[in-house]
Amino acid sequence: MSKASAANKELIEDLNSEYIAALDDFNMNNWLACFTQQGQYILTSEENVRRKLPIAFMLDDCYARLKDRVKQVLEIQHDSTEHYQMRHFTQLISATELKVGEFRANYNFSVYYTPRDTNQTETLCVGRYEDTIVIDNGEARFEKRVAIVDTNVLPRYVAYPV
Amino acid sequence: MSAPYIEWPAKTNHVPKEVFEKEGLWEQELENIFYGEEWHPIVHRAEIPNPGDYKAAQLGEINIFAVHGDDGEIRIFQNTCTHRGTSLVTESSGNKKEFECPYHRWLFNLEGDLIGCPGNREFSPGFDKKDYGLLSLRVEEFYGLYFATMSDKTPPLKEYFGESFYEPLQRLLGGDGRLNLIGYQKVTYDCNWKAYCDNDGYHGALLHKAFAMLNWQGGQGTQIVTKNGHLSFDSELTMPDHVDALEDGSILDFKGTETSNGSIVLMSFPITVYTKHLDMLNIRYSFPKGPKGVEVHYVYFSHQDDDDEMVKHRIRQSSNLLGPCGLISMEDASVFSRIDKGNRTQGNAVFQKGVTDEYAIPLEVGQTDETGNLARWERYRELMGFERGLK
Repeated sequence: MSKASAANKELIEDLNSEYIAALDDFNMNNWLACFTQQGQYILTSEENVRRKLPIAFMLDDCYARLKDRVKQVLEIQHDSTEHYQMRHFTQLISATELKVGEFRANYNFSVYYTPRDTNQTETLCVGRYEDTIVIDNGEARFEKRVAIVDTNVLPRYVAYPV
Repeated sequence: MSAPYIEWPAKTNHVPKEVFEKEGLWEQELENIFYGEEWHPIVHRAEIPNPGDYKAAQLGEINIFAVHGDDGEIRIFQNTCTHRGTSLVTESSGNKKEFECPYHRWLFNLEGDLIGCPGNREFSPGFDKKDYGLLSLRVEEFYGLYFATMSDKTPPLKEYFGESFYEPLQRLLGGDGRLNLIGYQKVTYDCNWKAYCDNDGYHGALLHKAFAMLNWQGGQGTQIVTKNGHLSFDSELTMPDHVDALEDGSILDFKGTETSNGSIVLMSFPITVYTKHLDMLNIRYSFPKGPKGVEVHYVYFSHQDDDDEMVKHRIRQSSNLLGPCGLISMEDASVFSRIDKGNRTQGNAVFQKGVTDEYAIPLEVGQTDETGNLARWERYRELMGFERGLK
């Protein structure tokens, strides 16, 4: 295991930027495009992780589930939830190469949200990403992104991935 | 301040909207309901399976904690040192050999006895350690689920719930209560606690689009309501027709045994919901944060006899279908907040679906009716001392 090269680190940062732009722009297809065909996305709490409890808020453990997540947001719950604007702020903490072409990245994040009814901005959650990233042909994709929120009690229902 | 008063409409299907916002109601609700003759579920043994395990909770505005004693008993105490009142536990859960107050190092064992207090030779002449054990709450257990009450007058648990409630609750607890904890989802909903628990049988297929998309019809069933406001919604378990509407239909599988059949939704007065949908075993401990806001802790279980595949299935299903992000439940969360906002207007909220007599309280209610909520409102009205207007 070695520190990621500057070039690979840049590719990892590009992927993270694409990811947060997709969510903040409410573009779920771009969000899906951030993952490999074996991709997984998990949103869980620090408490569950610390206590080794496997329940998550979102547990998309295969690509088909990721596609269903897109459908849930765009088609199933679109007209019955109140939309809120998200803004993600992230900071890369470490990036290491696990084996050739496979990387582990750790980010801190904070996510703010602004619902359209109040137009007041509040914190949705704060936490960290634990990422497994593959880089192939100069392009990085998530094999797995686990979002672990320190905000063990979420301030509201969460309609979109973080 | 004198207790707030609301004149209740004569018709039983009308609820005055001011009940969601009137100033001073919360303090009265604490006294008359939360600290009154009601049982409140606090913890399942599966959440604190080992001696020394504890879990913090709230009953009304009183901080409490449940602890698994060295003798195997589970007790529930007020979270306060019996000396000067310092909180004894500050984390939501953990494991301790004993509970030590940091202020003057008073020490309590897992059974709540005071076992150490530095300098006690200089204490008041009548001081006796035996008088300073932790303040315990009256507790009753049902298949591993521990309920607490603040009143000595609350009827025994089974009598309080009645068979129509405790029989499905037993099935929801796996039949024998031998459960394992698989995790929590915790969230705050932005509404009055009474809006949170006013969900009904009418909205299901209309609000939750996933049911229509999957052509998922509810099975035969009825809602049975007790006079003291508990609701039991027990129906035949049915499967969706169009699982192919999802890329991964396996999250909707039912892998349970025949004896675990049935879809169950229970609601105990005043505020707790318990559900068994497909293979998900779920209790929603709910803590009003005053008149506005409810913190809900969804807890999920597997059964001790499950094989690894079944546990994995329960985890996938529970994580994705229920809770504040769930495929078949997230819309409820949205609606709680909208009910709350919309009811800060004048007039009455009106129930219609299933009403056959506007002056009666139905105790047997059709599956897709909203009248199952009326007994709970009636009990609320009685406990709060609000009289109905004339017919």
